[in-house]
Amino acid sequence: MKQLIALEVNGDMHEIAVEADATLLSVLRDNLGLIGTKRGCDSGGCGCCTVHIDGKAMYSCMMYALSAQGRKITTIEGLGSAEKLDPVQDAFVKEGAVQCGYCTCGMIMTAKQLLHDNPHPVEEAIRHGIAGNLCRCTGYHKIVEAIKTAAGN
Amino acid sequence: MALVKLKEFCIPDKPEQVDACVAKYGENALILAGGSFIHGLEARGLLSEVEALVDIRKLGFAGVTAAAGGLHIGAMTTFAQLEQLPELGSAPWLGALKDALTYPPMQIKNAATVGGCLAAACPFFDIPTALLALDCKLSTNKAGAKREMNLADLFSGLFENSLEPGELIIEAKLAKPAGRAASAFIKLEGTANDLAIVNAAAYIALDGSGQCQEARITLGGGVGDNVVRSSSAEQVLLGQKLTEELLQRAADAVGQDIQPMADHRASAAYRLAMAKVFTKRALSLALSRLN
Repeated sequence: MKQLIALEVNGDMHEIAVEADATLLSVLRDNLGLIGTKRGCDSGGCGCCTVHIDGKAMYSCMMYALSAQGRKITTIEGLGSAEKLDPVQDAFVKEGAVQCGYCTCGMIMTAKQLLHDNPHPVEEAIRHGIAGNLCRCTGYHKIVEAIKTAAGN
Repeated sequence: MALVKLKEFCIPDKPEQVDACVAKYGENALILAGGSFIHGLEARGLLSEVEALVDIRKLGFAGVTAAAGGLHIGAMTTFAQLEQLPELGSAPWLGALKDALTYPPMQIKNAATVGGCLAAACPFFDIPTALLALDCKLSTNKAGAKREMNLADLFSGLFENSLEPGELIIEAKLAKPAGRAASAFIKLEGTANDLAIVNAAAYIALDGSGQCQEARITLGGGVGDNVVRSSSAEQVLLGQKLTEELLQRAADAVGQDIQPMADHRASAAYRLAMAKVFTKRALSLALSRLN
């Protein structure tokens, strides 16, 4: 049975009818069309569904949509714009830190919190910080370089 | 997440509303804290009978207070909040908890709660191994009735706890040791975002002459249905001067108390071998924090 809920996503309020066991990930993608957030393992192991909840990076596949009510949700679509990218997005482009691109949105959302908490991380802190995000293409080197660039290191 | 029998998703503002939901669905009401292990439970077929989810986020129970030299950790405190605690960086006796908190990725630290992590009774988790080594006590509440229990008594089987329906963990409490004490935790994991193959925590306290006055050695990661305390290893240390050779003998003794399982992560034989290796490392690290 569906329930009507209100979610605040990227500053906009949405009223949506969802199944009680719908995940935030499925609602973002399937109801709101915000497909920047990716479905990978769908079990909290790969990180490509990472979004911010009240400013903190979390796996949207592990949160029920009903539990996200009353919280501020930010997805990759909430960063920057087509005309002016967020500095972390810009750094990923400049450093060529994207190969197939499937992990990229989650990786950027994680990098945003990493740099918020630690504006000038050393390489080890960057590698530790993105440990919850898998990339099967790049070998991580360019991703780490992009985060360094975004930090101005 | 497919919960085929789910009828109600409760988000109570007050504890009484938890009681009402649980009274209606009994054991088929599942308390939801951080929610980061729901998939783990679902994958093991443990959610097929769930009729109600009770999200207790709005009830509070978050935050840490220093009490009588120890710590009272609210059950809904996230790993990320706990990690910010200044005492973790300065108190050797809390070393095991500090170490265990370094392993989860950011996304899990922001979601997972101390109470949820304990109530899940998952033998592969890290924080329970660390907290058991620190002799953690719990305060619980069910419809206004409070009770205290040892953490060890919470675990009653694989993914099973001894809480009654509707009974919530409110606090995890750690008492500060009187003498010289230190602890440490180490985890063996296949990737940086996986459950433990084996983990081990060690707590040691020395008397004035430098002999071991108190020892607690705990292991997790599939070495039993729940986190295991190795009294055989502890007995090797008690009353003794802690030499490297003695630490190795203690580590070798953990095999008497654990029953390693075989799964896709590791064979039982590998878990047994690594349990000894990681116990030795945890003991050495704890001892180094006393010097």
